[in-house]
Amino acid sequence: MPGHLELLGAGIAGMFHLKYMVPLVIGSLIGVVGGALPGITITMTVIVVLPFTFGLEPLQGLAAMIGVYVGGETGGLITSCLLGIPGKPSAVATTFDGFPMSKKGEPGRALWLGIWASILGGLLGAIVLVAATGPLAELALAFGPWEYFSLFILALSMVAGLVESSLAKGLLSGAIGCIVTILGNDPVMGQPRLTLGIAWLEGGVPFLPVLIGVFAFAQIMTDVERMGLAKTSDTIDAGVKLAVSHLDVLWDILSRPFLLLWSTFIGLVIGVLPAIGGSAANMLAYDQAKKFSSRPEKFGTGIPEGIIASESSNNANVAGSLVTIMAFGIPGDAVTAVMLGALTIHGIQSGPLFISQNAALAYGMFAAYILAHPLVLIMLALGVRWVLRIVIVPKSILYPVVLVLCVVGAYALGNSMPTVYVLLASGLGGYAMVKLGFPLAPFILGVILGDQIEINLVRSIMTDSDPWLFATRPISGVLLAASVVSIVAAIWQHRRMQRKAAAAADEPDADF
Amino acid sequence: MKLSRDGWGGLAALAASLFLYAATLGLKDNPLVPIGPGYYPRIVLGISAILALAVLIADLLKARKPRAAPSEKQKLNYAMVAAMFAAFGLYCGALPFVGFRIATFVYLAATNAMLDPPASTKGYLRVLAVALVTTVVVYLAFERYLDVLLPRGRWTDY
Repeated sequence: MPGHLELLGAGIAGMFHLKYMVPLVIGSLIGVVGGALPGITITMTVIVVLPFTFGLEPLQGLAAMIGVYVGGETGGLITSCLLGIPGKPSAVATTFDGFPMSKKGEPGRALWLGIWASILGGLLGAIVLVAATGPLAELALAFGPWEYFSLFILALSMVAGLVESSLAKGLLSGAIGCIVTILGNDPVMGQPRLTLGIAWLEGGVPFLPVLIGVFAFAQIMTDVERMGLAKTSDTIDAGVKLAVSHLDVLWDILSRPFLLLWSTFIGLVIGVLPAIGGSAANMLAYDQAKKFSSRPEKFGTGIPEGIIASESSNNANVAGSLVTIMAFGIPGDAVTAVMLGALTIHGIQSGPLFISQNAALAYGMFAAYILAHPLVLIMLALGVRWVLRIVIVPKSILYPVVLVLCVVGAYALGNSMPTVYVLLASGLGGYAMVKLGFPLAPFILGVILGDQIEINLVRSIMTDSDPWLFATRPISGVLLAASVVSIVAAIWQHRRMQRKAAAAADEPDADF
Repeated sequence: MKLSRDGWGGLAALAASLFLYAATLGLKDNPLVPIGPGYYPRIVLGISAILALAVLIADLLKARKPRAAPSEKQKLNYAMVAAMFAAFGLYCGALPFVGFRIATFVYLAATNAMLDPPASTKGYLRVLAVALVTTVVVYLAFERYLDVLLPRGRWTDY
């Protein structure tokens, strides 16, 4: 059996074949542009790319998606630094110092600090991705149905607990996601249930159109609400000076090794936690950088630390998300949820057996992730001005095209219209959830994990009907205890925030 | 007693959970397995009903803040959202009847014009050109190169 490094070497060498390199390059390019476009998230970009991957080999499709993911995380900083408008939620914190630095007359430095920090954070994340995925998958191989059930419950409770609005709404959102999975025949014996008289529902609700519908419509329609009401000034001076000494920029970053490593670590950890994503990683890394800084008062005025923290964390977050999906089959965020769907379409089961059963594919994914970074660097070095011109494409053109591609993606899943109707219904449901203040992340995780939770629950009970085994088996017990701790911690955190808000409301108004 | 959006969300989720829970009561157990097809759905629906009730009660008990005056609230273009959903619904409905090419061209032109109404002949030509080019490119990419057969129209055979 070839060793770890030989497999990685073979993966990297294989990725240089044109049939893999072309999708990776195109994916990275689309990712950079999609990431740079304000209002177009990486999830939406990967959803647009998804139908194009159906006719490709699994590794070709995944290479394209990984390219989108890495390119998007890096591309998002362009408008953050030069316009003050984050290209995506995971670049919000980049705006805090990137834009002030640009306004101070250093747009090139702001931009390239972000790009280099992204690349370095991403590549440091790659070390963990390659080193940790295998051992974690081996650990998960020791899991029985009790442990899987408890792991999925932990994932759902963590995500529900991390939402900002209300714990009950977060948990309810996850439960609604699970409800989607109980419609249709039961997964163990195939008995019909809750089909509501709809024949095609017997096969269950496919999760990919649900995911596409929820994310695309939630994003697009909340943007459409504001269209035409206020004129924005999303214009970039294409003649802006971006020339910079790359050695100076690299020294800016490498002379702050603790900041780089700590922000990368935060990005990785947030990435490993299910369904949270880079939007939390960059804010947390920025906050940590400020707390550890000897000059916290300078944050927000255009200092390198803010840019380095945000950008290194959001690219490392990609690696963390890939670890979770490859080792446990749990998506680290919405983008990896789409990747999970792409794997399913090709009949590949992600999870602990993924690496051992699909070694070439797994190491190909590692290789794609590693190679996407220098590719994105080269693309931005050659064509950042070109990207600046593209970001002014009107949304009135972009959004209808994105929705058409969503329809094509949904239709292509089964070459039938019902999946398109699921997309439409999910779009309406997703928008309603946003308007009612329900978080989408727990819902999506519920949709993805609902089936697995049921299968493992039934398997465990069929193996041994003693329900206490969920608590008395060591790993399962620890995972369930962690679920309880995460919910209790979330309740405590919510109460603390409410007390703070109440205290702030009681304070006399300074302007009065 | 008035409900906020949390309350309405909780109420809707409670109603849906109870409706589906009632539907599970008619499911017959399989003698071959210790638990039937309704076992897990009842757990999920029971939990969701309890959580929905919690959200509803929390909303009813929450102290209400006075509503902001209309001028203070951010005005959102819900009419446009409704129009976009309606257009998308019509597009999905029309696909099996008129086919991908015609439906997509009309949908793209209509929604583009809706979101950014053209002010001149040049504007209308731009809308039509974007719709035509996008339809042709998407059709060719998927039908010719990616082997995805897009819907043909029952009425148009196109």
